[in-house]
Amino acid sequence: MCPHPDQQAVDYANEYLSNALSIGEQMLRSGAEVSRVEDSIRRVCLAYGAERVDVFTITSSIVVTISGKAFGTVTQTRRISGLQFDLRRLERLNELSRLIAERLPPMATVESALERIRSTPSHSFPAQLAIWALVSASFTLFFGGSWRDAIASAIIGVLLKCVDAGLKWLELNSFLAALLCSGFGGLLSFLAVQWGLGDSVEKINIGNIMLLIPGIMLTNSLRDLFNGDTISGLLRFLEAVLLSMTIAAGFVAASVIGG
Amino acid sequence: MTYVIQLVTAFIGSLGFSLLFNVRRDRLFPAAMGGLLAWGVYLLAGLLTPWDVPRFFVSSLALTLYAEIMARVKKSPATVFLVSASIPLIPGGSLYTTMQYAVSAQWEAFSSQGMNTLLLAGAIAGGMLCMMAILHVFHRLYLLLR
Repeated sequence: MCPHPDQQAVDYANEYLSNALSIGEQMLRSGAEVSRVEDSIRRVCLAYGAERVDVFTITSSIVVTISGKAFGTVTQTRRISGLQFDLRRLERLNELSRLIAERLPPMATVESALERIRSTPSHSFPAQLAIWALVSASFTLFFGGSWRDAIASAIIGVLLKCVDAGLKWLELNSFLAALLCSGFGGLLSFLAVQWGLGDSVEKINIGNIMLLIPGIMLTNSLRDLFNGDTISGLLRFLEAVLLSMTIAAGFVAASVIGG
Repeated sequence: MTYVIQLVTAFIGSLGFSLLFNVRRDRLFPAAMGGLLAWGVYLLAGLLTPWDVPRFFVSSLALTLYAEIMARVKKSPATVFLVSASIPLIPGGSLYTTMQYAVSAQWEAFSSQGMNTLLLAGAIAGGMLCMMAILHVFHRLYLLLR
C-alpha cells in the first residue's frame, strides 16, 4: 500500500464505494439473493478503479473493503433493515450497475439515478386492496374451496390488507403484527362460515395465508444456503420459518378458539 | 375440471403476486404464465408418481428453465420470473395443516407434516439450483466450443 495516499483519490473512493453500497442495500431490500448483491457491488467498485474488493453481506448488513494504489484501503459498512419485495426496482438497479460497469458515469449521474429508483412508484392502496382480494380468492379456489368460500376469502383479504397496513403504521414487532393479523383473519373466516357466507373455514384461511406467509423468503433463503451463503441463508430461513409458523398458528388458533 | 380451475387460479395467483411485487407491465403476462406452467408440470408429473416431493422438484426444474429463457428474451433478471412462477408451489396448504396439528397437540402428525412442508420447500429450492447448475455447465461448454 502507498504510505501517503492522495486525499482526493481517497474522497473519490469513498464516494463511489458509498454509491455501490446504496445499490447493494436497495437490491437486498428489494429481494435479491446475497450472491447477486455481492457481485454487483464488486463489479461497480472494480469499474471505478478499485484493485481489490472484499464484500461480505448478510441479510442485515453489508461490509465492503476496497483497496488500490492511489487511495490505500477504504472500508464502509451499511446496516440493512426492512425487506420490501419490488421486482421493478430490482430490475432497474441491475440495469444501473450494468451501465456503471460499461460507461463509468460521473457520480452525480449515479446519485440522481439512485434517487429516481428509490422513488419508483408502486401501486396505490385501493389497487393493492383489489389485488389482495383477487389473489386470496384465487388461492381459495386453487386449494379446492367453493365459489362462496372464494367470495368470503376476497372480502377477508381486503380487510386483512387494511389491518396489515394499520399494523405496519404502528411499527409493531413483526411477529406480534403477524400473529394479530392472522388471528383476525382466522376469526373473520370463522364468523363468515357461522353467518353462512362461506362453507369451509379451512379453505378460506388457506387463501389468505398464501398472501401473508413469506414463501419467497423461504425459497430464497434455501437458495442462499445451498449457494454457500450459509449465515444469510440461515438467518432468513429461521425468520421465514418462525414468521410462517406464527401466521399459520394465528389462523388456526382463532378458528379453534372460535369453534 | 378441478385441474382447469387449478391452472386458471395458478395463473391469476401468480399474476396478482407479480402485481404486488411491482413487476413491469410488459413482463406481467410471461411471469403469470410461469405460474401456470409450474402447476401444469406438477399435474403432469402426477402421471408418474403420486408423491409430492419429486413432483415439486420436477416442476421447479421446469419453471427455472422457463425463467432463465424468459430472462434472456425479455432482458431482465431471472428472479423476476422465478419469483412469480414459483408462487403456486409455495407449500401454504401443507404449512396450514402442520399448524392445525400443532394447535390440536397431535405432535406425531405435526412433526411428519412439518417435515413434509420443509421437504417441499427444499424440493423447490433444489430444483432451482439444479437447473441453474445445468444451465451454467451448458453456458461454459458453449463458451468453450464457440
